[in-house]
Amino acid sequence: MGLVIQGGIVFDPSSNWDGEVRDLFIAHGRVVDHLTEVDEAIDARGLAVTPAALELRSPVAGYGQNFLRLWGGLPSPRELGESYALLGYTHIHEPDLTLPTANYVHRELAAIPLMDTSASLTLNLRDFDIFLKNKENLSEVAAAWAYLLEHCGGLTLRVAEPFVRYRQEFYQHRTISLEAVLDILDNILHILDSKISLEATPELLTAGLPSSGRFHLACLGPALVNPEALEKAHRLLAAGVSADMGLLPPAPRSQGSLVPLTIDQDRFAPCDLHGSPDPEAPRRALELALHCRQANLAFSAADLRQTPVSSFPQLFSWLCDHHSRRRFWGEDLAPCSYSLHDWLRSTRSLPAQHLGLPDRGHLRPGARADVSIYDLPTLSWWPQSFNRCRMLLKAGERVVDNYEIVNHTVSKATFYRRTGALPNHIIDGLYAKSSFRPGNLRVHPNPEIHWQKAP
Amino acid sequence: MEARIESAICPGCACLCDDIDITVVDDRIYQAANICLWGASKFLAHKRFHPKKERRRLQQPRIKQGCLWQTVPYEAALKRTAEILTRASRPVIYGLTNSGSWAQEAALDLARSTRARLEPADLAFKAPYYRSLMKHGLFWASLDVIRDEADTVVFWGANPLHSCPRHVVRYSVFARGKFTERGLEERRLAAVDVYRTELAEFVKLFIRLEPGQEPALVQGLLAALTGGKPPAIRGLRRLAALLEEASYGVIFFGRGVSYGPAQELLDGLGELTARLNRGSPFIFFPLTADFNSTGLYHLLLRELGSPLAPDFGHDLAGTGQAEPVAWSEVDAVVVVGADLFWFLSQEEIDRLKKRQVPVVALSPFANRTTGHAEVVIPVALAGVETPEIAYRMDGLPLFLPKIVSTHLWSDSRVLRELTALL
Ligand code: SF4
Repeated sequence: MGLVIQGGIVFDPSSNWDGEVRDLFIAHGRVVDHLTEVDEAIDARGLAVTPAALELRSPVAGYGQNFLRLWGGLPSPRELGESYALLGYTHIHEPDLTLPTANYVHRELAAIPLMDTSASLTLNLRDFDIFLKNKENLSEVAAAWAYLLEHCGGLTLRVAEPFVRYRQEFYQHRTISLEAVLDILDNILHILDSKISLEATPELLTAGLPSSGRFHLACLGPALVNPEALEKAHRLLAAGVSADMGLLPPAPRSQGSLVPLTIDQDRFAPCDLHGSPDPEAPRRALELALHCRQANLAFSAADLRQTPVSSFPQLFSWLCDHHSRRRFWGEDLAPCSYSLHDWLRSTRSLPAQHLGLPDRGHLRPGARADVSIYDLPTLSWWPQSFNRCRMLLKAGERVVDNYEIVNHTVSKATFYRRTGALPNHIIDGLYAKSSFRPGNLRVHPNPEIHWQKAP
Repeated sequence: MEARIESAICPGCACLCDDIDITVVDDRIYQAANICLWGASKFLAHKRFHPKKERRRLQQPRIKQGCLWQTVPYEAALKRTAEILTRASRPVIYGLTNSGSWAQEAALDLARSTRARLEPADLAFKAPYYRSLMKHGLFWASLDVIRDEADTVVFWGANPLHSCPRHVVRYSVFARGKFTERGLEERRLAAVDVYRTELAEFVKLFIRLEPGQEPALVQGLLAALTGGKPPAIRGLRRLAALLEEASYGVIFFGRGVSYGPAQELLDGLGELTARLNRGSPFIFFPLTADFNSTGLYHLLLRELGSPLAPDFGHDLAGTGQAEPVAWSEVDAVVVVGADLFWFLSQEEIDRLKKRQVPVVALSPFANRTTGHAEVVIPVALAGVETPEIAYRMDGLPLFLPKIVSTHLWSDSRVLRELTALL
């Protein structure tokens, strides 16, 4: 079946189309060069046509996140899927999946309608500590990570604690410092020819990163606890490090502190999902994003409790419109704002690159036909009109039409990375410690999930 | 033909032990290894803890015509159920804690479409727990982390040897973990109960209370921990010291807490855990027995934003209700994955009968409810005869594949087809 989106004003930063009026042809769910015959034409004259957005960080499916709903801190999967679709998103990425929680995470992601999903395998370096200490073991560690990535249905690798520490006295000899871990990671990533996401912390910003380009700094906002951290983050971005913003709104003054909601996933520091960031971090995160709009900096919100998807338009308006900043923050924060090109780059091209999905985030022939179409009364009005998507196509199928969800059951897939790696003795050791037998930790038999290998 | 299935998952209780080795001969389960007696009753269809007493499987749907039972095809049983639900103005879908997640999802859809109330079988146990969490917060970890870290374990109104027998071996007492390499020797154990249970044989401290004395013990512990003057309850000071010295603790509470003033007690225990958490990690953990009770509350919380009993008769959003349903209002009941008449008092049963409230029972086995039901629909055993998903008590889901075949429908299929009929 052939489809043409006719006469739209096309914006696609990675193809250098910055408002070109052109037709977009779609066949079998993909953008194609040209079609001589089409079954359907969508009249997009006067409308902005862009690639659909991808959410690089959507912590909605991690172990324990469901408890947030006890306090109204997370909407239902259906509401989540619909809110994303109405903004023009077709893919969301959960940052926190582990070997024991892989089935959990994928099941939660599968419950979110409309959205394709993927997740980062979060490596707990404490599971590998004795192997990390000896350089000769690193290729085996690399092989174990490659195996785990596929086995857990993960798309990318992530480390939340780039060090090895223990609370227990008698395990102190296993400690590995952050600096040493960064070096070790660099070596392993070289072997894997892969990248990794590191959760930004003030400590990590101070330590800096190896210059190999294999590290992505995730969720900068909450790490900006002081001007020094801001300065370090600035420098790293200026040096070309890839990162995402981790934007967050300032905590409302009226909000009392919530009771703790702490999840222990066998890391050094259990995570309080109700934790509150430094009060100045939201301002610093926004300042950093504004100053570094040309850097390798993708859009992300710190967490969906403080920044629900429905509040993304506000974050977008802070990035793109200095009036809106002045109204809310009482000042400009930076002399510059995101252009439409910058914004599309940070919400489309860069997330697709970081996730390693080469057929997403752009509209060149071969791309999957995930297209979002917005009103565009005048070019200067775009931040307001991009708050709601007029039409969203997913693999060429209409999901949103006339600002409403029209297809609640559009097919969705979970993207994972196929590595072909086999289990080794490190993996055997991991299984031996688990209360689950290896076969029952496998995610692939679950018939609810439509798996798709990342290209 | 003989086949050996390794690492099968037992749907006997919420431990979901996944190390069960099954021998299947001619598509029938012949042997199960590693399993406890409770679990074996599911695989080998005998009475719980009584391997010589057979549990009768239901083989064909039947409906009551006057005083007589009539065997019917599934379609006819569903039609009759649909009629009952259509006529009802206050239907309840009860149970589901012993059903797989797909059946629970189908039941939620059915409750929505019939404007029914969905009543989890163990609501009286879990609702006060969730309400306590909302007040005092939560520290949570998987059973693996508890096994590895917890050096202080308290069982409160809980007897794992009866509700989830291998729990003590796999996670909480004898298990060897990363930082608890010597198992039992590394843990300090205590139990609080109104009866002396088998736990008394191996815990360091067993506090036997009079019924109703538990809230006083909790308040006393809080007082002792904050420098106040606790009441004179035997063992209180020793328990306070044990809790205070923990480097990582867990309080497993069982259904025993729901026999008294449950909300008061669980609020107190929630507050106590929150207080202890200021010093060291402390987990407040429901020792769920039914194999997928956790999955049900997870589903309700995820889909509706509340883990309490959704009442679609009340409003279309299915606002969660903490109080157990008033049976006097109910005019039709569909029971799935539970034995309602086991839990009701004789008076309540008599009143339901007197009002001629129609009961539909979906069950793999004959039980008290099927004996009283107007429509009985036999279903396949989830995780044995039909694949399902279930959540271990720590909230980690497992895929339970089918082990042997059956002609019986799964409960999820029955519920889905019923919704379609309506
Ligand atoms: S403890 Fe529970 S899950 Fe484990 S074998 Fe016994 S009944 Fe089955």
